[in-house]
Amino acid sequence: MSRSPYEVLGVGKDATQKDIQSAYRKLAKKLHPDLNPGDKDAEDRFKAISAAYAVLGDEDKRGKYDRGEIDETGAETPPRHFYREYAASGDTAGRYESEHSFHDFGLGDDIFSGFFSRRGQGQRQAKGRDAYFSMELDFLEAANGVTKQIHLPDGPAIDLTVPPGTRDGQTLRLRGKGEPGLNGAPPGDARIEIRVRPHPFYKQDGDDVRYEVPISLSEAVLGGKIRVPTLDGAVNVTIPANSSTGKTLRLKGKGLRKPGGGHGDAYVSLQIVLPEPPDPELKAFVEGWTAGKAQAARRHMGG
Amino acid sequence: MRDTEFCRTLEIEGTLLELWVEHRWLVPDEQAGIRTFHEADLARGRLILDLVGPMGVNEHGVDVAMQLLDQVHSLRGKLGALMEAIRTQDQEVQRRILDRALDRR
Repeated sequence: MSRSPYEVLGVGKDATQKDIQSAYRKLAKKLHPDLNPGDKDAEDRFKAISAAYAVLGDEDKRGKYDRGEIDETGAETPPRHFYREYAASGDTAGRYESEHSFHDFGLGDDIFSGFFSRRGQGQRQAKGRDAYFSMELDFLEAANGVTKQIHLPDGPAIDLTVPPGTRDGQTLRLRGKGEPGLNGAPPGDARIEIRVRPHPFYKQDGDDVRYEVPISLSEAVLGGKIRVPTLDGAVNVTIPANSSTGKTLRLKGKGLRKPGGGHGDAYVSLQIVLPEPPDPELKAFVEGWTAGKAQAARRHMGG
Repeated sequence: MRDTEFCRTLEIEGTLLELWVEHRWLVPDEQAGIRTFHEADLARGRLILDLVGPMGVNEHGVDVAMQLLDQVHSLRGKLGALMEAIRTQDQEVQRRILDRALDRR
């Protein structure tokens, strides 16, 4: 312990607290005894860097050390037992044993199958593992919520309740529907990752939903009430007279349900649709409509 | 020891302990609904504190680290037992196993 804590951490005396922290961090990740289970040397080196950091990591103590008021050991701490000691001596009664990782070693009739799957006392309890699944939903099912009957492997059909406002990538949990527990312990959970299929016209934008709504030329010119579909049914919307294509109306609260409560909004973009087949009367009118010909529609583009 | 003593020893909040148990970073010894923590769990708790504190590992990182660590320990346990078993065999059997293992590496 005759090396100075600066030497132990490999930093200069003028190092900043940040330099010291990052030097310690780097060494700790490399030398932590629990990350080096079989390496005896790692423990001594980790203790040395920890002791050095205990002094230099604390500005107060560092000052005292620099002034010679304390030595490099700083305050004495009780000896620490690392987790690897317990794991190695089997003191955890198999609670943290990872049997599943040996499934590829010795299965079936192999004489080693028992060796890799036998556990400590055979009586320990452990909650079952979680089982992972994924499921595809239509956009509207996820947005409005739905109950789906699903079949988990080796189990009866169960009803999965998808809450309104479920998002793509969200995971739903079915408690107790995972793998069975050991020796009477509770089973794990089933975790179902939701994949939401895109909708032909509703586009999700965070909590909001955006889509285009076609309107006729007379509705565009004269304005008035139109029926507009929303996630949970059509509503009446008043469009102002002289509405161009691209005009966007906000339907408050008609977006997706937010995770914390409340709803996002719907943004409806109007799209003028001319009559099909073309209307001779409209054509005749527009031909004689001089103001229409004079309108500079592309003025903002410099046209 | 019970929850409160465990938390006091490690100087952590009860909610943090719940999170650890929820993530299965800690699996307390549970009998008849009463959970008990042992020295090994304390040591494990200190390791978690080291990971999230000075080593700057985030929650997902700890998840990965603990899983791999448990695999390493299980593997070391099995390997140790296997080595012991091989050591009790005749010298000739030991040599044959070793030759074969090295050969197929």
